[in-house]
Order: sequence, then structure tokens, then C-alpha cells
Amino acid sequence: MRQPLVEMENVSKTFGATRALDNVSMTIWPGEVHVLLGENGAGKSTLMKILSGVYQPSDGVIRVNGQVVERLNPKTAQEAGIAIIHQELSIINEISIAENIFLGRLPGNRGLFDRKTLEKMSAELLARVGLDMDPAWPAGVLKISQKQLVEIAKALSVGARVIVMDEPTSSLTPEEVEVLFKIINDLRKEGVGIVYISHKLEEIMEIGDRVTVLKDGTLVGSRPMDEEVTPELLVQMMVGSDLSSKYDTEDHSAVEVKSDKPITVKVEGLTRADGRCKDVSFEVREGEIVGFFGLVGSGRTEAMRALVGADPVSKGTVYLKGEAARISNPQAALKNGMGLIPEDRRHEGFCHNFPIWKNLTLPVIAKASKAGGLWGLVNARKERQAAAKVVEQLNVRCASIEQPITQLSGGNQQKVVLGKWLETDLDIFIFDEPTRGIDVGVKASIYDIIKDLARDGKSILVVSSELPELLALCHRLMVFREGTIVAEFPISKATKENVLYAATARINNQGVGVQ
Amino acid sequence: MKKDLRYYWQRLGTLAIFVLLMIIMGIFSPQYFLSRNNIIQIFLQSSINVLIAIGVFFPILIAGIDLSVGSVLGLTGMVSALLMANGWDMWLALLVGGVLLGAFLGLLNGTLVVATKLHPFIITLGSNMIFRGLTLTISDARPVYNLPRQFSRTIAGYVGAIPVPVIIAISVAIIFAFVTKKTKLGRGIYALGGNEEAAWLSGINTKLLKVVVFVFSGLCAGMAGIVMTARMGAAEPLAGTGYESYAIASAIIGGTSFFGGIGNIFGVVVGALIIGLINNALNILNVQTYMQQIVMGLLIVGSVTLDRLLARGSKGE
Ligand SMILES: Nc1ncnc2c1ncn2[C@@H]1O[C@H](COP(=O)(O)OP(=O)(O)OP(=O)(O)O)[C@@H](O)[C@H]1O
Ligand SMILES: [Mg+2]
Repeated sequence: MRQPLVEMENVSKTFGATRALDNVSMTIWPGEVHVLLGENGAGKSTLMKILSGVYQPSDGVIRVNGQVVERLNPKTAQEAGIAIIHQELSIINEISIAENIFLGRLPGNRGLFDRKTLEKMSAELLARVGLDMDPAWPAGVLKISQKQLVEIAKALSVGARVIVMDEPTSSLTPEEVEVLFKIINDLRKEGVGIVYISHKLEEIMEIGDRVTVLKDGTLVGSRPMDEEVTPELLVQMMVGSDLSSKYDTEDHSAVEVKSDKPITVKVEGLTRADGRCKDVSFEVREGEIVGFFGLVGSGRTEAMRALVGADPVSKGTVYLKGEAARISNPQAALKNGMGLIPEDRRHEGFCHNFPIWKNLTLPVIAKASKAGGLWGLVNARKERQAAAKVVEQLNVRCASIEQPITQLSGGNQQKVVLGKWLETDLDIFIFDEPTRGIDVGVKASIYDIIKDLARDGKSILVVSSELPELLALCHRLMVFREGTIVAEFPISKATKENVLYAATARINNQGVGVQ
Repeated sequence: MKKDLRYYWQRLGTLAIFVLLMIIMGIFSPQYFLSRNNIIQIFLQSSINVLIAIGVFFPILIAGIDLSVGSVLGLTGMVSALLMANGWDMWLALLVGGVLLGAFLGLLNGTLVVATKLHPFIITLGSNMIFRGLTLTISDARPVYNLPRQFSRTIAGYVGAIPVPVIIAISVAIIFAFVTKKTKLGRGIYALGGNEEAAWLSGINTKLLKVVVFVFSGLCAGMAGIVMTARMGAAEPLAGTGYESYAIASAIIGGTSFFGGIGNIFGVVVGALIIGLINNALNILNVQTYMQQIVMGLLIVGSVTLDRLLARGSKGE
């Protein structure tokens, strides 16, 4: 007789006055990919944290293999066969990849651990997830996407019966997503139940067997992903009304920017001291949105960090509005009207000790003050007003702007990280993965915001691993490979195929090679 | 409702402990302990620790530490005494040998921390020895006595019933409370303590701020050095030895997090007063000094553990 792996019944969860979950039920069957869908702050991560024993439910019953389990904690959940890959990865940088995979369960006996076995077992798991890395290396060398693969290897290593993946593809490139889907398909065949949380409807359509939709902590419904399910229907279930036309992202309205517009940023031969990007040259005009595509590790992010002076540069010149500028640190970049919105929100994006409003006004304070935030008084009232405006503009789900940012859902934290630059009055915006973890509705409004900025004459640089996003948003595309720009496409010439080709293989003759 | 408990604990927990201790002592020894004289005495005895603790709070706030404050106190106290003994004008000697020298020693610490990228623990562990060595060298390991009368009378004197050291400590506390709460500088330091990378990318000059926190630390220890010399009427080469542990303990008891970004001046001051109060109480109760250390140690471990427990409670259990 077929028995569900996990049944969650009428689960509720409150945080102080916030009701994050209200009477939510969900059943996970063997061999299914169960998509959990909902807007930012709908309660997806909270529900899964309850299943994996991170949080205790305020109310409700959880059954694993038909047995009621009470007071789960992360260890007993793992023993019950439930593994979770959290939205915010939990890889420890200072220890080796292998030790990360087997953390808490190191092989060996009598208290000594057996490094050989450990590394052999790890290498097998890494091969399974398609990560070509020496398991003895410290995990700190890994990019986010690679860390994600290590998390999956970790879940595989415990032999989990249920694997929860909370936005696993938010920082993966299309190839890496394919690898992940292959792994998921194998797991499905083995009868593992997979809970898959994502905001990418395309992926969900491809991989999902069943979908459960949450809205504001309540259950909207659960249904098989049959022929009737369309992206529009999913959006409708999520948002609660038919707004699907608003979320049509296949909008190629972007046209090329006239070449008589002044060039605001010109980069010549930018080379990092650590060599992670070499000889990068490009220019961006006023009102132009330029996209930067490339595989993970191709040097896009590194080039942007070097451009704003966040990391040391060994060679190259940056011209801002025609004049050579010396940008040796982010303060100088900010003074020159240039800001970088970083890709890794938890490590680079926000201060965990600040409430929402203090995070939102940090660059404003830095910019309006001499010596990089050293001089002058703060005006809390004004700051709060500005923060409240951004919170409303970006629809940040929060109890109030006084709430600690750490209590927000992942997508809402991302909105804050983006929002803090909108009030800063910049001329040049550099967005690194701006919509990571953001739901479809807000994604559309972020695209609108970016387009509006461009229309106001700002220059915009967007780094993204999501090609459709770049194709819909940008006027021009640059492709990075092995630390340098290998191709450039006006949007009219850019297609999924030729951009991907340029990113992976030799220079594409359809693009303009600028090597 | 554990979250609310946490909320109040963070803001008022230290104060609650302080009041509780007062009440307990009031019950044990109402006539003496709660007398006006004794209460002023507690504040007076705490003033030096309050000053150092306010300073050391800043490096801790950026998840660092300053172990050299005890030696900065020793060196500044000694140099300003030597300057006065050599006929310098008192105020000039105090400004140069105390305040400015303290700030300069902090500047050295901070610059080294930024330049070497080493943890402040290592830098200040070293500079602690260097500064103490310098103090012993310039003084020939002998105390300096013949200080102007006016010096002790002014700095260790009274305004009405209030001792001057207490006034100095309170003024410094108010100024730094203002700096932390109302200035961009203060906001920047908290941001740096919360997430250095995020602050850096937001355009905060984190390198400069790192130097500034050590300057603050040195500055406060320098003022403590002046007060110390004035109260003793002489500069002792070993003055302030080990004071860093009381200052750090004050900051921690006062709710400053070692992980950076959390804490405030008010808490630190109350933390320092708690230590003063306990010392005073144990003296009144005739407890041996060795015993006092044990109590102090238990208090530090206990209060931080409680803090952790409450922090976990708010995570939704
Ligand atoms: N520790 C906490 N304290 C207070 N509120 C919290 C806490 N954790 C989550 N919440 C609130 O619970 C709600 C649901 O959050 P959750 O993280 O589950 O959303 P989500 O569906 O995963 O969103 P996203 O798509 O943005 O990741 C949010 O409103 C959030 O602010
Ligand atoms: Mg989430």
C-alpha cells in the first residue's frame, strides 16, 4: 500500500504578533516533486523549517511514514529521513568541502576520523552532483552555486527520504539547473519525495508533479501539475486574482539606445590584482541598460566589484563622464554617483543588527556625509520617512520598519538590499543578481523600476545568471568567459542560443567579438 | 511572548540586575549600604572603570577587542605626571600627556589593525606589553610623587557633594552616547559591527572607522589615566594593570555582544556600576578579595549565558 512520506496537518506558526502560518496542510508522497509556491513572505520557508525541526509549530500535527512525530529538532528530523537545503546556505567556509558534507557524521571509529574514507565518499557525492572539485579544499573557495551543489551532496549523503530544496536554483546558471534536474529525476525514480520551492515558473512547469500554493500563511490549494496547469494559473493561485498579463516578462520592448547619448562609464583594460578578471573593457551610455552574462566563475561579479573599488585592481582605467576617475574604494564610487547592489544579500547586503529602516538608509547616510559616513548627524525621523516610502514602493512584507531585517523572508530581505540604493541618487547603478529569490509579481515591479531609472537617464549595469531576465531588460549584452568579455550583442541580435554559446564555447561569429 | 522578554532584557536587563543588587544589599545592610556617602563612594570607585569601559566598548562593538587599555592608562598617567613634575602647566600636561597621548596610542593600535589585517586581539596583546614596558622605562619603575597640589585638588576634588571623577565619567558617557546614537559616525560603527562587507559596499569608510574606534578606546583610557593619577596623588608605573578585564566585563555585562553590532553606552555604564557595586558590597560584607574575583567571574559567565538563552528563545521555540 502506498503511504505518504510526510503529512503535515493544520500546521500554524506565530512569531510574536505575526501569524506566519495558519492551518496549513501538506502531504508529500514518495517519488514526487512537490512544488511549494507563494509570494515573498507567504510562509514557504517557515513551513519547511517546521518540517525539518528548525522551528516548533504553534499548532498542528506532523506524521512521518504514518507515525506522529513531536518536538522535531534538526537532528531527529534528519534521522527521520528529512533533509533540507536552506534558502540561506549553511556551508561553513573554514572547513573542507568533505567535512561540510559529513558535518556531525564524520566517518571513522573510536573518536578518530578517517580522512581518506571521508574524502573518497565525498568525491563520489560530488561527482553525482556534477561538481568537479577536490573535497579536501576549504569550502570558502566555492561560489554560491557550487555551495548549493555541496548542500545537495550533503542531503544525498544522509540518504534522505524527503529532500526540501528552498530556492535551489536562485543562483544557478541554466547548465547547472539542468544538472540539478537530472539529479532530481534520479531521486524521483528512487522514490525520494522532493519539496521544491522556487519563484521561477518555467522551472516549476518543467519539474513539478504537484503544487501547493500558500498565500499570507494560508493554504490556497494543492493540485497535480497536469495539462491544465499553466504559468498564468499558478500566478493566479499565488496572487489571488488574475493579474497574469501584468507578469508577462517576455517583453522585448527594449530597443537600442541612440549612439549620440553621452557615454557615462567607460572601462579600459580593468584587471584585478588577483587576476580573477583581466582586461575587461566596455562602455555604457546614459539611459542604457547593459547586461552581463556568463557562467558562474566567469568573472562578472569580480569585475563589478573591482569597478567600484571594493577589491584591488592592478591595471586599467575607468572614465566617468569622460574623465579618468580614481576609484579605489566604494566610498569614491559612491561620491562619483556609482553604487553596487551585491549578489549575496546575507554576507554583503545587509547589517543583521539593524532594523529595516537603518538598513535602507545606510548608503544615503554614507553619501551625504564627508569622509565616508564619518561626519554629521543622523535624522531618524527623515530616515524613517524615506524608509517607509521604499518599503511601500517595493511592497516589503514586514510588521513595521522597526522589525529586525533578519526576521524578514528571503525575498523581502532582497527587496531591502535593492531598496537602499533607490534613495541614494546615483547616476550609475550596478545590479548583481537583482531579483534573486524575488517572486514574480515583485520581479515585474523591479524590472519596471530599473527601466524607469534608465528612462531618467541613469546608466545601468545588470549582472544576472537568468538569461531571459537579461533579454527582457537590457539594451545590450556582454558575455563574460574566463575572466574577460568575449562577446557583445545588441539586443536585436541576442538570442538564448548565441549568448549561451558565447558564454561556453569559442567566440560566436554572430556576435561582435571584442577580444 | 519570549520575544518581548528578550526585547526588555536587551534594553533594561542590566539595569534590572543593578536595581536587584541594590535591593538585596539594602536588605542586608540598610543603614550603611544605602547611605548617601556609600552610594557616592560606589560611583567614585567605579569612575575609572566606567571611563575605560566606555572606550573598550567601541572595539568590541566592531567584533574586536582592546587589551591595551590598562597599559594606556598606566602610560598616560605616568607621562602626564612626569610632564607636571617637570614644570609643565597642569592643563597642558593633562591635555598632551593624558588625552592626546591616549588618543595617539589608540591611533597606533587602530592603524596596526588595519594595516596588518590581524585580529585586534593579537595587536593589542602586543601593544599592551609595549606600553607597559615604556611606562616602566620612562619612570625607572618608580612612582612619580611630587605633583602640583592643584592637580589632585581639581581632578580628584568635589563640586558640591559630587566627586569630579564622577562628573568626568558622566560627561564622557553622555558625549559618547550622543556620538553612538545621533551621529553618522555612530551609525557607521554599528553598521561595521553588524556586517563589515555590507557597510563597506554601502560606502562607509570602514577602514577609517576601525582606526576611530581604537582612538576612542585610547582616548578614554587616557582620561582614566589622569583620574587615576589624581586620585592616588602619584603616578604608579604598574597602575591599571589588569584593568582591561574589568572594562571588558563591564561592556559584556552591559549587553555588548562579542559578535559585534549590538550594545549601547548606557548598558556599559550600568555594567561598570554593577561591578563597582559588587566590589563595594563584598567589602561591606567582609568577603575576601579572592572571593570577590570568583563572584565577578560567575557574574560574567552567568549574565552572558542568560543573554544567549533569551536570544535563542526568540527564535521561535
Ligand atoms: N524569526 C521570525 N520572526 C518574526 N517573523 C518571522 C520570522 N521568520 C519569518 N517571519 C515572518 O513570517 C512570514 C513568512 O516568512 P517565510 O520566510 O516563511 O516566507 P517565504 O514564503 O519563504 O518567502 P520568500 O519567498 O521571500 O523566501 C514573513 O512575513 C516573515 O516576516
Ligand atoms: Mg523563503
